[in-house]
Amino acid sequence: MNIELSELTRRFGRTYAVAGVSMEAGPGVFGLLGPNGAGKTSLLRMMATVLPPTSGRLRLLGRDPGSPGPRREIRRRLGYLPQNLGYYPGFTVVEFVEYFALLKDMPPGRVPRAVAAAVEQVGLGDKAKAKLRTLSGGMLRRAGIAQAIVNDPDLLLLDEPTAGLDPEQRVAFRAILRGLGERATVVVSTHLVEDVGAACSQVALMDAGKVVFDGTPGELIARGEGSGAAGDAPLERGYSAVLAAARSVPATRPAAGIQPGPENRA
Amino acid sequence: MTAAAEAPVRPAPARTSRLGPPLSFLRLLRIELRRSAMPWLLPLIAALFWFDSYRPSTGQPPLYVLRTFWNMGQGHTIIDFGPFVAGLAAWIGSRDGRRRTADLVTATARPRWTAQLATWAGTAIWAVAGYLVCTSVMFAVYASQGVQGQPPWWWVAVGATAVAAFSAAGFAVGVFWPSRFAAPLAAFGGFLALIMSSQTGFHDSTGWALILPTNSNGNFQPDSGLLYPWLPDLPIARIMLLAGIAIAALGLIGLRARICGPWTLWLAAAVTAAGVAAAGTAVGLASTARLSADGIVIPALHDAASDRPFSYTPRCGQAAGVPVCLSPSYGRWLPEVTAALGPVFSEVAGLPGAPVRATQVGAVYSSGEGGDGQSMTIGGQPRVLSLSLGNLSLPVGTATVFADQLRLLAVHAFVGAGNGIGTPAQQAVQAALLQAAGVPFAAQPQLLTTNGLPSWAQAASNGPPGPATGPVYAAARRLAVLSPGARHAWLAAHLTALRSGQLTLGLAPTTANPAPKQARR
Repeated sequence: MNIELSELTRRFGRTYAVAGVSMEAGPGVFGLLGPNGAGKTSLLRMMATVLPPTSGRLRLLGRDPGSPGPRREIRRRLGYLPQNLGYYPGFTVVEFVEYFALLKDMPPGRVPRAVAAAVEQVGLGDKAKAKLRTLSGGMLRRAGIAQAIVNDPDLLLLDEPTAGLDPEQRVAFRAILRGLGERATVVVSTHLVEDVGAACSQVALMDAGKVVFDGTPGELIARGEGSGAAGDAPLERGYSAVLAAARSVPATRPAAGIQPGPENRA
Repeated sequence: MTAAAEAPVRPAPARTSRLGPPLSFLRLLRIELRRSAMPWLLPLIAALFWFDSYRPSTGQPPLYVLRTFWNMGQGHTIIDFGPFVAGLAAWIGSRDGRRRTADLVTATARPRWTAQLATWAGTAIWAVAGYLVCTSVMFAVYASQGVQGQPPWWWVAVGATAVAAFSAAGFAVGVFWPSRFAAPLAAFGGFLALIMSSQTGFHDSTGWALILPTNSNGNFQPDSGLLYPWLPDLPIARIMLLAGIAIAALGLIGLRARICGPWTLWLAAAVTAAGVAAAGTAVGLASTARLSADGIVIPALHDAASDRPFSYTPRCGQAAGVPVCLSPSYGRWLPEVTAALGPVFSEVAGLPGAPVRATQVGAVYSSGEGGDGQSMTIGGQPRVLSLSLGNLSLPVGTATVFADQLRLLAVHAFVGAGNGIGTPAQQAVQAALLQAAGVPFAAQPQLLTTNGLPSWAQAASNGPPGPATGPVYAAARRLAVLSPGARHAWLAAHLTALRSGQLTLGLAPTTANPAPKQARR
């Protein structure tokens, strides 16, 4: 398994962002859906090893990221695109991708070819020498994706990767995801259910720090059929139905944005 | 969520070779150098450097030691660079925080410290290169102007290290406080530190304060690089301090990136400790410093070979038939020196103790106090006038003051007044000889004041120069009105008593009774 989570929690002060998530994943493309504040970004940051969990067990690529040596090994094989992509405006696209390729401990001799391939893969070949400050939002997103995939990662974590992409690029990007998912574990956090339907073989829906649905996109669609839930597309209706059902059940765990009662405090 | 497929985990990618990390660092550095913001700031600093460090120095005589005392001895080159470099380094250091790339950088295999060091190195290399280019251009202009002596390379090294230290300290401020205010805070802090360094230097000329980078006390001796080498003792201590500050600041950044693992933490702690130790050692060394004849000496760092004066072929001329020889570095002033000393040598020619030759020697200092020693002495057999020009105000435009100064010092040495102000009789004889050599009585009080001596017309040493009156000048006028032959005879008869301090004003000659025996006690 590339990802093994068990009862993983993350607390900020008295607020639980992630409240006991368990999951396992091997190669494939996994969609992580959920409303704003559901805990998707915190979960992804923990899997990206930049945010330590408050409690629970986390293993990535068969290693414990809590130890420095294994954590470094995980990071060599990790690709990560944060929700808010920071960038250096004075760098060109190639320099930006090369910079992170070098930080990912790639052999320096392999870096130029890998950078060129990644930049081509996201369709920025003609903008390779352009400075990042001159790019549109969608192009910046593609530059971010290029730095995430430059090291041919075994674990690729993408937070809102298609935000700002035009429809043509979005379609192309889904094809890239499917290709990467054949040999690596790709986790895509998104609001856009059509991305999940088009690219993901498995989907999890988070709400209030918990996973409230775990299955295939077809199973999510099935949950919406006949439920009367709002939505323009079958996946959206399934999404709404699952959320409505989850919110109608009294909480048994501390939830995101909710102060836990004394019995639930860690 | 469960796995969609139970495929085995792919084998780990090949590790980089042993050369991988340094090569990766160099490639990171290349990107940082190419995209650093520092080159955009350098023209502004260069303009400031030109107006603050170079232009004022051109008012000094064309000797490296005098030109560079302004811009390096007093630390103006550091003041021009330091605050700006610290501010921009803070701006660059705060980049990951401002640009929200911290997660992206942290999620990579290399310690975040590595990326930060590459970023700092890119900044520092530009800043230090800018400093060295500005200094080199300034020296090249000096060379084209015929400036004499050896450039103070050790002090250039101090300035370059200071620039690196300011960049490291500013970068650390940016890392620890990643906001838009980091840059102005670091720049202002750097400027304040330099001003405090200068102010401390104004009133602390010894001990630990000598380590401060803009403390000008005692660090530039008048004949350094001209008659003897620049002593490296104090520059080495200052380089230790500044390098220690830089290393400690970079180590602190590593301590902050401790999430990378215990080895990073220990390494960063060791680097920080090494930096602090180097800086502390430098302060300790500076507190043992003492002033020697040719510069600041720190016993633990001193190499006796540095004390050996330069050998040179002198440039010589004639002053009233007396050969006058100067170092080639001072050769341009040979005509002024011979013209100034000629009338004095004519006046004393043939008298006991009159010099038969004048030769230049290095400036000498009062032991351990840093005060100027006697600039001219007469000694040896045959008598030689030892001439130190390093302590004098060398002429830039008019040579009148310089000539009068030389004559004053020559007659001062001739009457045997030593390193003090002399007896009243010695003062009177000096005044009369100066009058005869072309320095009128009326101009003498001002000349004495210019040379830091009390007026011979006044009992008190303070206050503005008054008229040339009083008992000393009364006696001097009696001697001056004598015919040259009579004055010569009187001096020949009384020089021994005069030099031993046994002659009084009352026994000075009168026109009515100039006989030598009447003037003797």
